[in-house]
Amino acid sequence: MELLNPSYEETKINQIPADRLLELRGKTVGIISNGKENTAPFFEYLSQILEDKYGVQNVVQRIKGNYSAPAEDELMAEIVGWDAVLSGVGD
Amino acid sequence: MEIVSSRLNVSDFCAAQELYHANGWTDGLPVIPPTRTLVEDCLNWAMLPSEHVVGIEPVRERAITAEKLAINSVMAGCLPMHFPLVVTAMTAILHKDFLLHGATASTGGSAVLLIVNGPIRRELGMTTEFNVLGNSDRASATVGRSIRLALINLLNVRPGEIDRSTLGHPGKFSYCLAEDEENSCWESLASERLGDSNVSAVTAMAAMAPRQVMNEWTTDPREICETFSAEIRSNQLNYSIWPGNYVLIIPPQLRSHFETSKWTKGDIKECVFERARVLRGEWANVGKGSVVKDRADREYPALNEPDDLIIVAAGGPAGGFAAIIPPWLGSKSRASTAAVGACVDCEVW
Repeated sequence: MELLNPSYEETKINQIPADRLLELRGKTVGIISNGKENTAPFFEYLSQILEDKYGVQNVVQRIKGNYSAPAEDELMAEIVGWDAVLSGVGD
Repeated sequence: MEIVSSRLNVSDFCAAQELYHANGWTDGLPVIPPTRTLVEDCLNWAMLPSEHVVGIEPVRERAITAEKLAINSVMAGCLPMHFPLVVTAMTAILHKDFLLHGATASTGGSAVLLIVNGPIRRELGMTTEFNVLGNSDRASATVGRSIRLALINLLNVRPGEIDRSTLGHPGKFSYCLAEDEENSCWESLASERLGDSNVSAVTAMAAMAPRQVMNEWTTDPREICETFSAEIRSNQLNYSIWPGNYVLIIPPQLRSHFETSKWTKGDIKECVFERARVLRGEWANVGKGSVVKDRADREYPALNEPDDLIIVAAGGPAGGFAAIIPPWLGSKSRASTAAVGACVDCEVW
């Protein structure tokens, strides 16, 4: 009996991973929060670690308008100016 | 017809079950082995070429092709005649306002509720009365299951993968019903939403489990609406306070009281819109006092506007019951309606 595979089988890869940073010192790191309440103290603490321990020059914190949807176009455009992004998911 | 899906060779029906279960391609129940012939029958019935893109999931940008959707429909038990309804349902949930990724990934654990209107209900033998929320007929069961299997297999909405539901609910197996247009004097849901009383259509909503209510002790429409509203208020306080689409399923016994009083769906919507609202301070009564803060007097309506209430005439003839089906999470996901139709640009076999 010959049957068909029901799963997604697209294998074409159009995207190239971004170059990895060798260090964080002097860089700009963006943090995109999903906006849930407990992310505020967590990302605040994380920002301190990035600046104090790893020498990140500038930590930019942003919050998505809808925590269940992708980031807005304006936010995605702003990412271009950052060296690295942390996208937070959680309650 | 070109079929591009990879092939799998198995010795028999039982081996097919084990292979599909082992690969995580089922919902835990047996499936119909999807042979090329069965899949082509579905595509031919819907007059869709295999490569036809039914839609693209907007977050992960995955194209859902007619071929893959047909494979999953066959597995769910669909006959070819059921397949256009599956295509329509998938079209509806791929609308960006439905927010499919969020709704299927959320810990909230919603399922995709499908409400069918129009002549296709009768063509497919869909029943609208007894046990309407409990796999009442073949088409309802298999169309609803097709969507779940397609989510599992095409978007990885498996428990623990994309599906992060804390609990989920049984509607995830299949959550589909048809409106009882013949036994209701109300405008059908599809007519309300698409402006055409003759169209066959599917309305989809990211929905929680049904909450059944009962009021057999009044014929006053306002009192019945208060029972509906009380259940919605309970959901607001105990689950989610945010306004969004609510589905209200009204069987014949309660419907008769509204009809006797000449109440339309619009009258019920207005009444529930006014009554289904809570104060933030009421959270303190259900153990959520810590989040009331300084906004105890702030009022939260369950509906942003009366038309957020989706009223469906359906259910068995006896019993003063109704069902409230709450939204997954307020208005983050909106109910979506799509009309059943053939692709007029596609090659016809």
